[in-house]
Amino acid sequence: MAIDYEKEVGSAKVEQKFLYESGNEMAAYAAHQINYHVMGYFPISPSTEVAQFLDTMKANGQHDIMLIPSDGEHSSAGICYGASTAGGRVFNATSAQGYMFMLEQMPVQSGTRMPMVMNLICRAVSGPLNIHGDHSDLYYALNTGWPILMCRDPQSVYDMNLMALKLAEHAKVRLPVMVASDGYFTSHQKRRVQAFANRADVQKFVGEQPPTGFTDTLDRNNPVSVGAYMNEPDTINNRYQQSVAMYNAGDVFEEIAKEFGEMTGRHYPMVEEYRMEDADVAVFLMNSSSEIIKDVVDQLRLQGVKAGSISPNMIRPFPQRQIAEALRNVKAITVGDRADSVGGHGGNMVNEIKAALFTYGNTTTKVISRIYGLGGKDFYAEDGHNFFQLALDAVAADRVEVPFDYYGHNVGALEKAPQRVLKPMDFESLKTGLITVKQDEITGKLSVKIPPLRSLTKKPKRISPGHGACPGCGIFSGLEIFFKGIEGDVVTLYHTGCAMVTTTGYPYSSHKSTFIHNLFQNGAATLSGVVEMFWERKRRGELDDLGLQEDFTFVMVTGDGGMDIGMGPAIGAALRGHKMIIIEYDNEGYMNTGAQQTYSTPLGHRTTTSSIGKHQQGKTTQHKDTAQIMAATNISYVFTGSEAFPQDLVKKAAKAQWYAQNEGLVYGKILTACPLNWMSDDKEGTNIVSLAVETCFFPLYEVEQGITTITYNPEDKDKRVDLSNWLKTMGKTRHLLKPENEPALRSFEDEVQRRWNRLKAKHEHPDL
Amino acid sequence: MDVILVDIMKGAMSVVQLPKVNELGFFEIRLESIGGLGANLAGKMLAEAGVVGAGMNGVSFSSYGSEKKGSPVKAHIRFCDLNTPIRDTSPVERPHVVGVFHESLAKTVNVISGIYEHSTVLINSTKSSEELKEVLGMKAGMIAVIDASSIALKEKNRVNMAMLGAMFRLCDFLDPEIMKGVIEQSLGKKYPQAVQSALTTFDRGYNEVKFLHYELPAGESMPQYVRSDISSLGYDTQPIGGVITNPGNSFLKNLSISRSGMLPAFEKESCINCAQCDTVCPDLCFVWEERIDKKGRSQMYLEGIDYQYCKGCLKCIEACPTSALSSQRETEGYADSHTVHHLFDLITQS
Repeated sequence: MAIDYEKEVGSAKVEQKFLYESGNEMAAYAAHQINYHVMGYFPISPSTEVAQFLDTMKANGQHDIMLIPSDGEHSSAGICYGASTAGGRVFNATSAQGYMFMLEQMPVQSGTRMPMVMNLICRAVSGPLNIHGDHSDLYYALNTGWPILMCRDPQSVYDMNLMALKLAEHAKVRLPVMVASDGYFTSHQKRRVQAFANRADVQKFVGEQPPTGFTDTLDRNNPVSVGAYMNEPDTINNRYQQSVAMYNAGDVFEEIAKEFGEMTGRHYPMVEEYRMEDADVAVFLMNSSSEIIKDVVDQLRLQGVKAGSISPNMIRPFPQRQIAEALRNVKAITVGDRADSVGGHGGNMVNEIKAALFTYGNTTTKVISRIYGLGGKDFYAEDGHNFFQLALDAVAADRVEVPFDYYGHNVGALEKAPQRVLKPMDFESLKTGLITVKQDEITGKLSVKIPPLRSLTKKPKRISPGHGACPGCGIFSGLEIFFKGIEGDVVTLYHTGCAMVTTTGYPYSSHKSTFIHNLFQNGAATLSGVVEMFWERKRRGELDDLGLQEDFTFVMVTGDGGMDIGMGPAIGAALRGHKMIIIEYDNEGYMNTGAQQTYSTPLGHRTTTSSIGKHQQGKTTQHKDTAQIMAATNISYVFTGSEAFPQDLVKKAAKAQWYAQNEGLVYGKILTACPLNWMSDDKEGTNIVSLAVETCFFPLYEVEQGITTITYNPEDKDKRVDLSNWLKTMGKTRHLLKPENEPALRSFEDEVQRRWNRLKAKHEHPDL
Repeated sequence: MDVILVDIMKGAMSVVQLPKVNELGFFEIRLESIGGLGANLAGKMLAEAGVVGAGMNGVSFSSYGSEKKGSPVKAHIRFCDLNTPIRDTSPVERPHVVGVFHESLAKTVNVISGIYEHSTVLINSTKSSEELKEVLGMKAGMIAVIDASSIALKEKNRVNMAMLGAMFRLCDFLDPEIMKGVIEQSLGKKYPQAVQSALTTFDRGYNEVKFLHYELPAGESMPQYVRSDISSLGYDTQPIGGVITNPGNSFLKNLSISRSGMLPAFEKESCINCAQCDTVCPDLCFVWEERIDKKGRSQMYLEGIDYQYCKGCLKCIEACPTSALSSQRETEGYADSHTVHHLFDLITQS
């Protein structure tokens, strides 16, 4: 809402201060003032910042919310659900794919009546992948049974977050509440914002403690059974209760908003009307663009056009009566939906508005439906003028020429249509014959011969230059060495992550052979499907005329983050034994979303969700040992590698290919530098990963048919160095060398030594 | 925002007058940069100086996407008086001031898009304003030049500090003393040794920026601005499903703007063709050729670097066991004249 500062200060009854903050900052700010008990979260743009800001504030001792980094949104939603059954206050924030992944949990949260507050920082739903703001994720929320509050700017993000909790916990509601704001437009734009100056006033408004007398799984004297199995005569009654609670939420919101308005001078009716008193034509938009349209209304009013705009502050329950009343005398309205309900002859909002008009007996207002702003396409004032023109045209013609259409799409010039530029790679040059793999007839183990690296420069690189990775990125050097060891044709699948987004920015691709990207967590499942289709079509003789000379080698590329959220599917694929390779580039964090901690981030390392401050010194848990987890699936080959030891990695790749073609799934992990987020010099990447090996933090080894072999032992060569030699090379770890962090450093050293000792024991004893 | 900033700026509130505003009442600034030069941070500090420091109303944001360090980025700032409602979230298309952090950007990005004939374009460059007018294709407006890279190098600080200093000079409604207070306090706690160099860099930016105004020649008009959200492919030309049917076409891109000053130089005579550089290069820049060696065997030889893709990370120099690769400050034209182009197996269009 536009703030009249003079007026506001005059009418506010609570002491406020002004901040200059973005929507995400304000969501975090409200959460820290409320001091929720628990937040289970997982990084996804553009909502990730909310957890980051809370982590920074926590490191500085500004709140004590338990922040739980989950292994995917399904888990974050599960953590939140569990926490909300246990009587405390729960908070979360997500976007798009994250919301889709947790969708299953949403109706359970509402159907079992567990209040919590979740911010949806609205963003386009895949595919194709797009991280920008539209309402396609929000529209999936419409049927989840959560009341939904809408935020047009950072101010309302703050205000709605305070009101949301009070609404959720109200005795007549008892539902989880969603607070929806626009990704980037609101989440990342800084504005002048008013906030309660004193936390005590916030606590007073929301209630210092959550109300008691409701489900509490920690109340030992009153045991409850949550999530029972319910039969057909009962479910409809449960649903009716929920429906009543939802409509109650509308009335309760109005009460809360009234109280809030009296305190702060900021008023939130269910539907905000702008210059609608005598409007002939109107435009309906939601959130950020509903602000832009007000400028257009002002401009049209100056020209004598009776224009007005409406936008809802709440869409569940849908403010049917209020909208019908606002449009009673309007001759035509253009409704912009920032997401389509494909095939529904309009987005969800336009159809609900039409239903509202019909229900209230309005058959005269003409309604024009347009889908706009998809995938974050900007909405300019110029677009607003065009929307009003559609309404004016309908009034003039007394009919709606085109009731439903898209707006802002373009046909594209034929001469700019994509023309393929590269020929397919020459098979002979990919099958160099320079690398030989032989199986020993007695031991069954493989022996590999590789030529000098110089000779391998002859082999075409699988990736075209021109990808958009940061200078000094270790992913592509690491992957390229691995692929040098692979002979013949490949099909690759990349998990969502830096390697994927930097090589596939539409309409460019750096992949010279076929590449697939599906979702962040299920690459292993997806590639399993491709592999099995390959074998089945091959068996049926359907590939014979496709120019294939030898079987493909199927390679899945993932980051360490993808191996967190995708751990289940990876283990599943390993246990099923598909003939494919999973190669993980481990850069110790979710770097694509801005360096959040993964489980592979080592103890004490700094990320944006393991901040450094008075009360926290980086990550609090030890790093995940993914190679050992995968080895425990008893697949025939597991390895680790590094670009600092290229011959070792090329040999392992060759073995990996043999096992993936003859046995089943192979897993390998390479440690790759991320200069940006490791806070190190671009040129130092190779040296830093080399030190990670020399310190035995990242030992080079393989587990072949269950037998562990250390392929490079720095102790044998007298090259082992202390962890501090590695840690001092990176900005993200230098604090660990300070005297006050000595206990953490010791703990990290002990863990590295323990894992190294165990590895050596395995190396020495084939039965281990 | 920084608590420190609020504290410092609290006392400094006063009513300021914006030099010019658009029809909605905004003075608009656009920063053009590559990720990593600190334009985002500079934009944030500038906006906070206006909103928190000078007590104006304002909004600031950056362009976001899959862009990584080294890719083109923009930051947008709007200032207005306290009672002007801020409703627009669209990017700044008609800037009163443009700040170009990296001169080479002009090669691939229309950095001056949408300027008025009275707009100011601040550019980090060693060129004269006359040359820059030519390079940018500017018809009219004020060109402000600052050699921010050299200042940053000399003062061992960052380009954004020098640019910020120059921006403060251009935005004379903002008080540079407040900004210097912020720099002092925010850096002072963590990096006290960096305070003086940051302040000197800021001051030099402020003092050394040079301006020259060019009038619009009679009878000419400024170019119409083109909306930045129109794609070249449309629904009739996009293959369905978002599938890219043009494998490996990223080689058409030019990434040389990602370099922020340094590049590797190759001296063939000292090269032993060990391929260590090729092994560590993230950007596939090294160009090899197969030839017959003295013993009559086929061998691979390193021919040079395709600078079109080199982002200047200099990993190759660390890896090189001889003196064949060395780092040097990039000078105009060096990359073009020393590049060895990759040969791609192209489909010849009929």
